[in-house]
Amino acid sequence: MKKIFLSSGLLFLMLGTVFLSAQTVMASGGSVIDRIHAADKPFDSMGIESAHHLPVKTVLAQESYQGGTFKVLARKDSITRFRCSVCHTDKKVLVSDGALFTHGDIVINHGRGNDRLACIECHDEKNRDFLSDAEGKQIDFDHSYQLCGQCHFRQKRDWLGGAHGKREAYWAGERVVRNCTSCHSPHSPAFETKMPATYSLPLDK
Amino acid sequence: MNSSGKKEDEMKVTDILEKKSTRRSFVKNLSIAAAAGSAGLVTGGCVSLGKSEEMGLKWEEYFKSNYRLMTQEEKDETVARLVRLAKIQNDADIQISNQEPRENVLYGYAFNISRCKGYMDCVEACVKENNLDRKAKTQYIRLFEMDSGQLDPTSGDGKYFHEVPVEGKFYMGVQCFHCENAPCIKACPTKATWREPDGIVVVDYDWCIGCRYCLAACPYWGRRFNWGEPEVPKEEMNTKQHYLGNRMRMKGVMEKCTFCVQRTRQGKLPACAEACPTGSRVFGNLLDPNSEIRYVLKNKKVFRFKEELGTDPKFWYFID
Repeated sequence: MKKIFLSSGLLFLMLGTVFLSAQTVMASGGSVIDRIHAADKPFDSMGIESAHHLPVKTVLAQESYQGGTFKVLARKDSITRFRCSVCHTDKKVLVSDGALFTHGDIVINHGRGNDRLACIECHDEKNRDFLSDAEGKQIDFDHSYQLCGQCHFRQKRDWLGGAHGKREAYWAGERVVRNCTSCHSPHSPAFETKMPATYSLPLDK
Repeated sequence: MNSSGKKEDEMKVTDILEKKSTRRSFVKNLSIAAAAGSAGLVTGGCVSLGKSEEMGLKWEEYFKSNYRLMTQEEKDETVARLVRLAKIQNDADIQISNQEPRENVLYGYAFNISRCKGYMDCVEACVKENNLDRKAKTQYIRLFEMDSGQLDPTSGDGKYFHEVPVEGKFYMGVQCFHCENAPCIKACPTKATWREPDGIVVVDYDWCIGCRYCLAACPYWGRRFNWGEPEVPKEEMNTKQHYLGNRMRMKGVMEKCTFCVQRTRQGKLPACAEACPTGSRVFGNLLDPNSEIRYVLKNKKVFRFKEELGTDPKFWYFID
């Protein structure tokens, strides 16, 4: 009987030391992965006051990020001839003004192969101040991610989480991200080839 | 009882004696006395007041301590001296911060190798932000143009200059990975480089002796050496600087990416992440479960470069 007590006591002692040593390893830092797993409390990134004031115009996104809200860059301000309904009326237009009024400068390079998208596949047919999705629901220009996400749902999922797209200026503070159209031209969304901004010297110099 | 108390007293006395007369402080006191003497001699001479102020500041700078051993007061003093020296020597109005790391912050970085197009905007922004030597064309970031299927940058082309992206190639950026278990820190014989509590590996440029052991120890080619006096045109100088970050380096010291410590500790993104036009660079707090970097680590396919070395870098690559 005594022996059993003694051995069980020893066992507890050993377990205890193993547990304690594991605890001290954690406390002294441990690997990055351990520290990430141990950190489950949200960080108060609003507490960093220097990250508060963005000099850009934003709108509250109509989606949620990690259960909270976030903002996207406003789009309508950067559309040069918004509101579209100023021109798109029932009024008749002179032929000589046609070049000015039709969007002859826009080249559509959106869609696979020869299946280029038509204007009204994204723009609302009746109210030109809005976009419209496949079901005909009107979508604001500032919230184009709702439209793009219909086809590019994988990119939208990544964008909502933060693996696609870009945060604006700050890693802390309120989450402000770029809109789809901040980086991609909606009419020709693929990135262009161009010369790099600079170059590097050979490594073995 | 009595005798042990006596012993303790004796110990304290010797402690104090030893502390008061370290070799460094002895030499410092001696030299200050000498300087005062020589200053007394030359005041009647032709040395201008500005010159003697510069000499005095340099003198004080020469005997300052390792940054980690400084009190807050000493840190403020050295920053003030460096700002004044920059004004006297180059007529430059700079601000040097000594902002401390924040609590519960561990910086991490993720790089999307399927999005990067090799535009090199990150490299250019880094050079400008960090006052990198324009003469030797020092760059902290290297982008490698790689054949698909390869994951070792040594197989890629690091000096491309043609229209990008090229069909069938992908681009992989390499910089300091801010390892938790960094070989460069272990290699440093003067403890001039260390990991801050927020995970950034920094260099005290005034404590570095330029032996380049860290350069040899780093398996990621993350460190750069100043073979000559760094040159930055005055109009291009970034005046918002940090003691451990982008303040001007000198000839013969190591430097490296600091995750833009002068920006990130204020909540800003590093210059490379802000400049990237493709959104390939994700930066954030690893200890915040709601951060974007944590989303990437949790939901994307990630890997770390040379993870088998056990350096535990805080820089991940991911694919869409």
